[in-house]
Order: sequence, then structure tokens, then C-alpha cells
Amino acid sequence: MALLEVDDLRTHFFTREGTVRAVDGVSFAVEKGKTLGIVGESGCGKSVTALSIMGLIPKPPAKIVSGSVMYEGSDLTKLSERELEDVRGREIAMIFQDPMTSLNPTLTVGTQITETIRRHYDVSQKQANKKAAELLEKVRIPRAAERLLDYPHRFSGGMRQRVMIAIALSCDPKLLIADEPTTALDVTVQASVLDLLDDLRHEYDMSMIIITHDMGVVAEAADDIIVMYAGQVVERASTLDLFDNPEHPYTEALLGALPQIEGANVRDGRLTAIPGRPPDLIDPPAACRFGPRCRYAGSDDCTKHEPQLREIRSGHWVRSAHPASERAGSRKPQEVGS
Amino acid sequence: MATTPTDIREEGLVEAALGVSGTPIRQSNLWKDAWRRYIRNRGAVVAGAGFILILLYCLIWPIISPYDPNAVDYSQAKLDPSLEHPFGTDKFGRDLFTRTAVGGRVSILIGFGATLAILLIGVVYGSLSGFVGGRLDNGMMRFLDALYGLPYLPFAIITLAIIGRTDMWTMMIALSIASWFTTARIVRGQVMSLKENDYVRAAKAVGARWYRVLGRHLLPNTLGILIIAIFLELPAVILGEAFLSFIGLGISPPDASWGAMAQEGRGTYRTHPIEIIVPSVAIASLVLCANFIADGLRDALDPRTRES
Repeated sequence: MALLEVDDLRTHFFTREGTVRAVDGVSFAVEKGKTLGIVGESGCGKSVTALSIMGLIPKPPAKIVSGSVMYEGSDLTKLSERELEDVRGREIAMIFQDPMTSLNPTLTVGTQITETIRRHYDVSQKQANKKAAELLEKVRIPRAAERLLDYPHRFSGGMRQRVMIAIALSCDPKLLIADEPTTALDVTVQASVLDLLDDLRHEYDMSMIIITHDMGVVAEAADDIIVMYAGQVVERASTLDLFDNPEHPYTEALLGALPQIEGANVRDGRLTAIPGRPPDLIDPPAACRFGPRCRYAGSDDCTKHEPQLREIRSGHWVRSAHPASERAGSRKPQEVGS
Repeated sequence: MATTPTDIREEGLVEAALGVSGTPIRQSNLWKDAWRRYIRNRGAVVAGAGFILILLYCLIWPIISPYDPNAVDYSQAKLDPSLEHPFGTDKFGRDLFTRTAVGGRVSILIGFGATLAILLIGVVYGSLSGFVGGRLDNGMMRFLDALYGLPYLPFAIITLAIIGRTDMWTMMIALSIASWFTTARIVRGQVMSLKENDYVRAAKAVGARWYRVLGRHLLPNTLGILIIAIFLELPAVILGEAFLSFIGLGISPPDASWGAMAQEGRGTYRTHPIEIIVPSVAIASLVLCANFIADGLRDALDPRTRES
């Protein structure tokens, strides 16, 4: 059985301008010991999905309208705030995008780690300190025991993200949600933080959800990937299958927009971009949400009816009327705007 | 650096460099920075020194003074300043230098007491309103708007009349009951903006309960603003006390406060003006010092104030 099962999750923001359907019917599962990557561009609902799992969405204006988040047999969306607080950190931990602002500047790093430990475990301050030093060592911070007494401003961005990881791991969670864990870091630091996360995941036998807009990050870290667009899952597959045989036109376009530095696909000149902008989530198209930007959208069914997520082959799900494998030969790619 | 710059190696090098030179580059933290900025503000330093001097004078002089502040001796009445009586004596022959110190104790005690009460009410009300937010916040703030319409001193006078007794404690109540509104608003605004911080969300994401979020992550970060609020409220309260005592509603003779002393001196201001000048100058200097300190603190605690 999967560790976490999200089923038809809908999180809407009720604003003055109207209802923003930020997450609109998202389903996925995270297996024990596996890493799931969630990719998509800004505003597609990746982070809101994660925050909905944790019960951290700002209420109001946001509300989980329907759907369930099953974690080890209990529905997290039905838990009270008090019960959720016991789940957070202990069962599911989360790290955020910006390590520079995610630590309280007025407390020492040690205090911030030990407080989390003592929140969930009944241990003495001394034991907590010992554990905190071990954790800092685990996340490869030199002179760990001394650095517990330092304030966050004496750490670099990469080191702060390591401290955040240490805090997240301090209570041995079974699931770690990393929301753009490397976006705010230098490229070299990014790689080492990703390595660290992967090593620790094996060591702690955790499951992980990595949220990112960087295809490179998920390619490296994830076992399975879901691609989100405008609040919906548009494609779900294993990492290898997704990169080798992308089915959804959006996924194809995302991969096509990646710069290649070696291999057969090296291009000269400009990178290809996806024309247009994501739809307004207050009033999304009734038909396929990617339709207006899709180069294969014609006058057929997909401009009138919303395509459903279907299993095109074992383990590969796609929400499109024109997945690549059904398109080849039978349809000619159409130019946008013609 | 020709090595492959992995994160750890780079950070390791930085660490090593620190170790060799012995001392870290510069221990910079908020309070040290603030202290350095404050020290550079000459006006604020002088005001701080003056404030401490006045406090020490009020605290120590009544203990070592040879005169009883309440002993009436008509043979010594209305003396001009001299070596025996640096501020002269009043119409009852009491030594003004001693009496000013004793009166200062009362005035300053009322000032600090009422300020503390203001902070307490303001912090509880403001943080509750800002932290919970939503409808409760809206209701609490509209209630505050309504209270804002009440004039401060008449409200204090009415409070005193209702209690029907005037001593130090009732004065504190009367002066704080109508002046915590601004502090509550400041705290509320600060809590509202702090609670959007990433580290608050991060703390919640590892299971911190609300009281921990409030007590550990929100209130300590309002401390800087609260310290400024203390020195802004203090002069207002001291002036309020002086005013109430001056019009005869506050501390009453023979007990002394600066306001009460000025009230006594009012009768003889033509013939023996020193009696009203001394407490007035005392009030003015303390208020001036507190204002300068508040100003210096505001500059010092604002990290955007860069020293040139």
C-alpha cells in the first residue's frame, strides 16, 4: 500500500475576484521509500498541493473543497488542527524554498533544532542537544557541535538549507516534502544539497516529494514524476518513461525547452519556448486547459470537452486527446496560429 | 581556487580561514549593531546619561539626605538656593532638593508602572488580534477605533473619580487605562507582518503549536519596537501624572510628586518662583531625555539605518 494517497484533491481560494481553482482534482500516490517529483511552471498548483497535504494552506481564503489525503489509513483533511500538529514534523516534514528566511534570526540554530525534537519526543535538553549535533553532522556541516550555538546569519544559504533539512529530519519523518529545495541556491550548492537529500532518504528510509520547476532536478532525484498544469495533473509516469517517451504536448514542450549541451539534440540559436501564458484559474477553459497553447489542438473534441486522465500504457497516465504515441503518423503537427 | 568547488569544500575552506586567523570576521548581531549605532548618536547618549543621573538622584538622595522631606520648619521657609539647600526651601521650610528627589520617585514609579501596564495590555490585545486575524481581529480593531475617540485625560479623571481614591496605584490604573491603544495597534501590525514570515511557516511545518509560534517566533521579534514604545509612552504618562496632580486630582499633600510640588509652588510663583521652577524643570528634563532616547533607539534598532 502506498504511504500517501491523494485522491481528487481540490483546493480553492475564495477571493474577491472569484474562486481561484488552484488545485483542481489532483490524484497521486507516494510509495514507501520512493521519491515523487512534481513539476510544472509557477502558479500551476504544486506548492498549494503540498501545503494542502500538510494542512498549512491559509484559511481563509483557501479551502480544501473536496478530495482526500490518505496517510497510513487516516484522512489528513479530516484531522483537527491539533491532530495535524502532531503529524507535522513527526510523520511528514517539509522544507521550503528560501533558506535565508526560513530560520528565525533571533534564535540559535541549536535552539531551533532542539525545540523541534522536544516538541515531538519526551527527551531532556541534553539528549536533544546531542541529537542536534548528530543531525548537523549528518547534513555535513563542519564543526557541528560548536555551530549549534551560532545564529542563522552566520550560515551561508547552502548551509542554512542543510540546517532546514536537519530540522526536518529531527523527528524521523516517514515523508519529506521538499518545496523547491534548491531554487534559491547556487548551481554547485544545488547539486550537493540534492545529493544530500538523496543519501539521507536512503539512510532514513523515507519517502520524498520533490516539488520543482527544474526538469534537471527531478530527472536526478525522482522515481516517478507528475507534471502539473493549471491545477491539474496532465501526465504521470516513471521518470525514465517520462523523459524517454513524453506523451502530453505540454511535457514535450517543457522538455523541448531544456537547453542541451551535448548529444543529438543540440540546437543552435534560440531555445524553443511555449507560446502563450497559463490560463486564469478563476475561469479556466471548460475544455482542455492546455488547449489554447497546444500545437495539436484542432477543431476536434478536445476543444469542447475536458480530456480525462487515462492510462495510455502500463503506469503512464496522460490527460490529452493527442498523446504522442497516438499522434505519430496519423496526425500532422499543426502550427499554432495558422 | 582550482579545486572542484563543491559546497562543502568551499565552506570548509571558509571555516579553516576563520580558524587560522583565530577570531571570526566580526561577531555582528542585532543588539551589538544597535548599541554601536546608538553610541554614535550624541544627543541620545547625553539624554541616556541624563536619564540615568535623574534616576540615581531620585533613588539615592532621599536616603543620604540630612533633611526630612516632610518636616515643616517655618524658620527655614522660602530660602533661596544655597549650599545647605541647593534648590532652596518651600513655604513650609522643607528642603526642595530632597523633596524633588522624593517626588521624582513617585512620578517615575507611576510613569514606569503605568507604562508597564500599557505594554501588558497592549501586547496581549494586539498580539491576540493580529495572531488570530479574521473576524476577531476586525471586531477588536473596530472596538479600538471607538475607544480612540475618548480623550485621554478626561478619561483618566473619570476613572479616578470612579475609583474614588487617589494614591500611586490608582494613578497608574487611571493613566494606563486610556493610553494602551497605540501600543496595541503597533503590536498587532508587527505580529500581522511577522506571521507571514517563512520561519513561522517552517515552524508550523514541523509541528509547532500556536503558543510556541507566538511566544518564540512572533513576540521576541517585536521586542525592538516595544522598547521604543516604552520610551515614547513614559513621557506621556509622566506628563499626565504631573497634570493630574497639578490640578489637584493626583497625589495630594503632604506626599510629593513633581506635579503636586508644582501645584504647591503655584501659590507663591510671584514671590518665590523657585518652588514652581524646580519641579517643572525636573519634569521637562525627564520627558526630554525620554524622547531623545526613544528617537535614538528608533534609529539604532532599525536595521535599515546604515551607519555612514
